[in-house]
Parts: sequence; C-alpha cells; structure tokens
Amino acid sequence: MSKALTVTRRGFLMATGSTFAVLGSRFARAQQPRVRIDPTEFRPIPIAIPNFVGGSPADSQVGADVAGVITNNLKRSGRYAPIDQAAFIERITNIDVQPQFENWKSINAQVLVTGRMTRQGDGQLKAEFRLWDVFNGKPLAGQQYLTAPEYWRRIAHIISDQIYENGTGEGGYFDSRVVFVDESGPAERRVKRLAIMDQDGANVHYLTKGADLVITPRFSPSTQEITYMEFGQGDPRVYLYNIETGQREIVGNFPGMSFSPRFSPDGQRIIMSMQQGGNSNLFVMDLRSKSTTRLTDTPAIDTSPSYSPDGSQICFESDRGGRPQIYVMPAAGGAAQRISFSKDDPNASYSTPVWSPRGDYIAFTRQGGGQFAIGLIKPDGSGERLLTSGFHNEGPTFAPNGSYLMFFRDPGGASGPSLFTIDISGRTELKVPTPGFASDPAWSPLLS
Amino acid sequence: MKVDKTLVASVALHVLVLGWAMISFSARSYEAPPESLAVDVISADQLAKITAGIKNGEKDKPKPLVEKVADATPVDEAVGKITKKEAIVTDAGPDQTPPVEKPLEKKPDPPKPVTDSKPQEEPKTVEKKPDPSKVDPIAEALKSEAAKKPVPKPQAKAAPPPPPVKKHEYKFDAESIAANLDKRDPTRQSITGTTLNASASLGTHSGNADAIVATWKGAFVAAVRRCFSFPYNGQDSDQFEVDMDIQLRRDGSVASEPVIVAVRGPSRTVADAMAASAKRAVEQCQAYAFLPKEQYDTWKYIPMTFGLKDML
Repeated sequence: MSKALTVTRRGFLMATGSTFAVLGSRFARAQQPRVRIDPTEFRPIPIAIPNFVGGSPADSQVGADVAGVITNNLKRSGRYAPIDQAAFIERITNIDVQPQFENWKSINAQVLVTGRMTRQGDGQLKAEFRLWDVFNGKPLAGQQYLTAPEYWRRIAHIISDQIYENGTGEGGYFDSRVVFVDESGPAERRVKRLAIMDQDGANVHYLTKGADLVITPRFSPSTQEITYMEFGQGDPRVYLYNIETGQREIVGNFPGMSFSPRFSPDGQRIIMSMQQGGNSNLFVMDLRSKSTTRLTDTPAIDTSPSYSPDGSQICFESDRGGRPQIYVMPAAGGAAQRISFSKDDPNASYSTPVWSPRGDYIAFTRQGGGQFAIGLIKPDGSGERLLTSGFHNEGPTFAPNGSYLMFFRDPGGASGPSLFTIDISGRTELKVPTPGFASDPAWSPLLS
Repeated sequence: MKVDKTLVASVALHVLVLGWAMISFSARSYEAPPESLAVDVISADQLAKITAGIKNGEKDKPKPLVEKVADATPVDEAVGKITKKEAIVTDAGPDQTPPVEKPLEKKPDPPKPVTDSKPQEEPKTVEKKPDPSKVDPIAEALKSEAAKKPVPKPQAKAAPPPPPVKKHEYKFDAESIAANLDKRDPTRQSITGTTLNASASLGTHSGNADAIVATWKGAFVAAVRRCFSFPYNGQDSDQFEVDMDIQLRRDGSVASEPVIVAVRGPSRTVADAMAASAKRAVEQCQAYAFLPKEQYDTWKYIPMTFGLKDML
C-alpha cells in the first residue's frame, strides 16, 4: 500500500515535471519573437511553361500554340515571369510521369506547367494540364477540357486563369473579351466600327459595318449583349446589340438624345443620360417592363453613370458644381456626394467614372494642366492615385478581376488612338495589339 | 702529476654554470592560453547585402528632435541666482553702454589696442545725443556724469584691476564647497528624455534594421527575402500577413514542412496564396548552412511572419 503510494507520488512528480517542461518549452517558443520577412520589391513569380505534349505528332503544333498563349497571358499580367524555353534542361515528353524537379529548381522556376493536347476520335480536342510546385514536388492544380479544335485559344485562356488564381489568390481575367470602336481611314473621314476581340487582342470580329458612328459600347453581365450609342439619321440613340444573333434594337423611345448607357450588375436595367434642353439627367430603364425612372433632376449635365458591383450605388459625372466632377449617389436616386477633389490642380475636371467589379475603386479620366490622366479613387473620395498621364488618355474599363484597366491613348496629330492595359498599381502598362486604331474599350465579365 | 686545484675548480664551476644555463634556457616559457572569441565569418557578398540600404525606402515617422522640445524650457530659472541687472535701453543703442570709451578715444596718451576698433563709435554717439526725441533719463544721467568726469574714468579703465572688482573677488574656501554647490533641480530635463533623438530616423518599417547587425537572424532574413516573391498589386498590401513556424536541422535544412499558424488580410484567397508562396520561399532557399552551429538551440525553431509592407 505504502509502496503503491510511493510509486504514485513519484509518478505524480514525474508527470508534473514533464508537463511543466513541455509547457515551459512551448511558452519559450511563444515568447520567441517572430522573424519578420517583407519583400522589398515587387517580383513576378518565375514560371516554366514548356510546350504542351502532342497526343499525336499532328497535335504538337497546337500544344506549342497553347503554351505560347499561356506564356503571353502570364507575362502581360506582370505577376509572372515565364522562363525562356531555351533555358530548360528537361524536355517534357509524358505528363503522366513526374518531372525531375531538380532540373527545374536549377533554372529557378518556382512553378511548372505541363500539359497535353490530343485530338479525339470524334474530332474534339482534349486538353490536359498540371501545375507543379517545383520546390516541394507537389501538384498544385490539374484539369482537362474537351472542346472543338477552333477553340484551342480559349482553352489556353482558361488554363492561364487557373494558374493565375493559384499563384495570386485573385480571380483570373484572361478568359474574357473586349468590345471596342475600331477606327480606320483618314482623320477627317474616320470610319468607326464596333469590334470585339479576346482580351489579348486576338480573334477580332466586327459587329457593325461603319455606316454610322458608334461610341461608348458596354457589355452586359451575361456577355451576350452590348449596349452602345450610335449617331444615326436622327438623334443619337442608345442601342442594344445581341452578339450571337446580330439583332439590335433601340433602348426606349425618347424625344431627345440618349447616351452613355451602362448595364446594371444584374443585367435587368440600363442606366443612361437623356438630353432635355441644355441639360441632361440620369434615367434608368427596366429592360423587361420598358419602364423608365428619372434619377436626377438638375440644371446641369449628369452623364457617364456606373453601378457599384452590388447595385446599391451609382457613380456619375456632373458639372453641377461648375466643372465636371465625380459624384456618388444611391441607385434609386437621392442626395449625391461629390468625391473628386483635386489637391494639386483646382481647375482639374474628372470624367468617365467606372466602378471596379471588386467594389474597392472607381476609375476615372482626369483632365488638367493640358494632360489627360487615368486614375483611381476610393468610393468615399479618399486614396486618389493617377496611374498614367499624357496628351490624351481616356475611357478606363476594368478587367473582370478588378486588378487591371484598359483605356485608349491618342497621341494626337495624324495618328489615331490605341488600346493599353495597366495594372492598378501602375507598374505594368502594355499596348494591346489591334488591327487599326482603336478607342472606347469595354471589358467583358469572365466568359466562364 | 700535480693538478692545479684552481684550474679544476674553475672548470667545475664553468661546467656547472653552463649546464644550469642550458637547462634553464631550454625550458619553455609559460604561455597564457589565448582567450577564445566567438567570430562570425561572413562573405563579402553577405556583408554587402547586410550593409546595403534601400533606395526607395519609405520614410518612417521622424522622431522629434531635441532642439524643438527644448524651446519650451524656462530659461529664467537657469539664471535665477545671478543678481539681476536690468539692461539700460536707450535710443543710442548698445554702443553707448560703455561710456568710458569716449574719453579714452580722445586721450592720445594711453595707447590701448582695444580702442582701435572703436573710433567710429564715438562720432555716432555724439551725433545721436542731440536728437533724443525719447530720452531715457537714466541714460541721460549716465552720459552727463561721464561728461563731468572725463579724466578719472579713463584712469579707472586704464587700470585693469579696479579696486571694487578686487573686493568682489571670489576667495576659495574649501569648507564652503557644499554651500556653493548649485542645489537647484535640473531645469533642462528635455534632453534627458528617452524618446528623443538627436537625429531624425529614416527608413522603412523593417528596412535592413535586422540585417545591419551581423547576426544569424539578419542573414536569415536576407536569405529568405531573396526567395520570397508574392507580387500583390493592391493598395491594401500592408494588411496581409502570414505567421509560419519552421524547424531546422543542424545543417540548416528544413526539418519538416513549415506550419502555417495564421493568415491575415482582407481577402482569404489572397492570404492563402501568400502563405503558399512563403512556404515555397523557405523551402527554396534552404539549406541555411550559414547559421552558426554552436547557436543551434536559438534557431532550430524559428517563428516567422511574412508581410508585404515594404513592397509598394
């Protein structure tokens, strides 16, 4: 009995001691200050994208083309740094075999993309890809798609989005399109046609023939319809155009000029400006009931309305205070609050506001000091930043993920406008290849 | 054969002395064992990285300088014990305060070197006398007195040690030291504050502060930072943080998969991607062979926080 008691005591002491020892070591760890790591520079992620393997020799070309589109997409994003294929040590011949990661570590690749394109018996194209973490040898993502061979480019955009999302944690934007105004001919007789293309400038299709002048095209959330303003025989009118069917119709039948249309986030309404005498006010039209509601009633020019992503607010441009400035008000109308106040140039004016799909910023065109700048401002009026400025920059439109903007830049003179993309930090600015001059871009939501 | 005893004694003595010398000189002198000093050996490359500054470093909140704070200190108290002598303010200005100099100038006899710089002052004072629109009575009294007694004053000045000065001469008394000590409380406390700094601080939130000290921690931060790339372009980047714990082997390699303890930020998906990037960076940059093995206990477990504060 006493022995048992002695053992128990010893056991108790040992258990207590070991418990305190464990707790002590954990406490000591908890007390150890954390080593802080902050990168001092913005560095894109090094990525290796070898050509996708061809399921048959005939598929090798499409495999190389897909890898090329992915490389171009990620490089243009500024967030990835694709490694030159000439530096590759290993040649991927079978994606079912795990790559030799040492070969990819040695060229400092952090992630590796492997893929295969195979033409199926029914004529369809099968695309498979894998995303690898080079340093721990684990797969990060993998997917396969089946599509018609002519849509190989779209497959490349979808794979690009998956890679982008995996590395950045943000939504992708590569599988999207841009509608814009294609301009051709001499400056005094410029032909303006509505055109649509992939976000990287490929697959350009013309939607109108150029007989009438078209401006301010805008995508519907479904990406199947476009609303725009056209100068026809009578007053300029807002039109609705179905991309798939080619049908178009006038939005409403109003006595005066209507312009600056834009869809609501749910696609059920179109908000626009309507001219009444020397003034213009904002109206919203329900596309189903065709009923129209007035949102502003001021002796000023209210135009360029844009919904917040949740549809609860509207930002627009108004000269009610003298110069054109940006205002925010409830979507159903009401008191508008001015948010643009230039600190460095009291004579600056703000126009073409557009709300980010993320909701965090409103992009604008600022005119002042003989320069047109593209900038961002928070919806409460704080944090204004100019991303780029020059002779003439105008018409910003957000990418579906809210991290990039597209706008047009006109150098003036005999030349014409071109499209550019810039990321919201202003670091990466790139020209978008178009067949001719191009202006008034509008970025679609993601296609899938 | 008779042996010379003295010769024998001399030989024996020489042998004895030489033998002693050989033994004693051949013995190794005592050498104190050198004291061991811990030395961190770093390469030129590491030194360059450690001492490198950041060109585009954000300016931190500058600490207040002492000079600005010191303005508020009461100056009057500092001279409180000195007998207060009110300054005589006249229209003639401070030039007239030593009235004795005037007669000194006029008198050619005592050549004083001091007077060389003063001749121009005399006409000034004379000229200013006749136009006293606002005449100070005290100044006038002094001037008239000086005019009445032109001779004795220069004499008094000419004699360097005037008698009254001698009266006030301080006589050292060792016993009165305690009485002479200044018992006032220190009034210029502003310079004793711990938060004040004589130089404004520049730099970034973290900058190279850790790295400037050549410790293993600085070298470790520099190494991991080299591999950590998370190109986030939002303006809220400073709100993203990842806490990660790592365990290292004695050779500096990562002993087990890094453990993500916490992620913070406005977007969970972005924070998770950042955590994956941080993990990748730690694995990519191993092994951290430069870590001092004799201090293994201090770095076998390293809690880390990854942020994006200085990226923009």
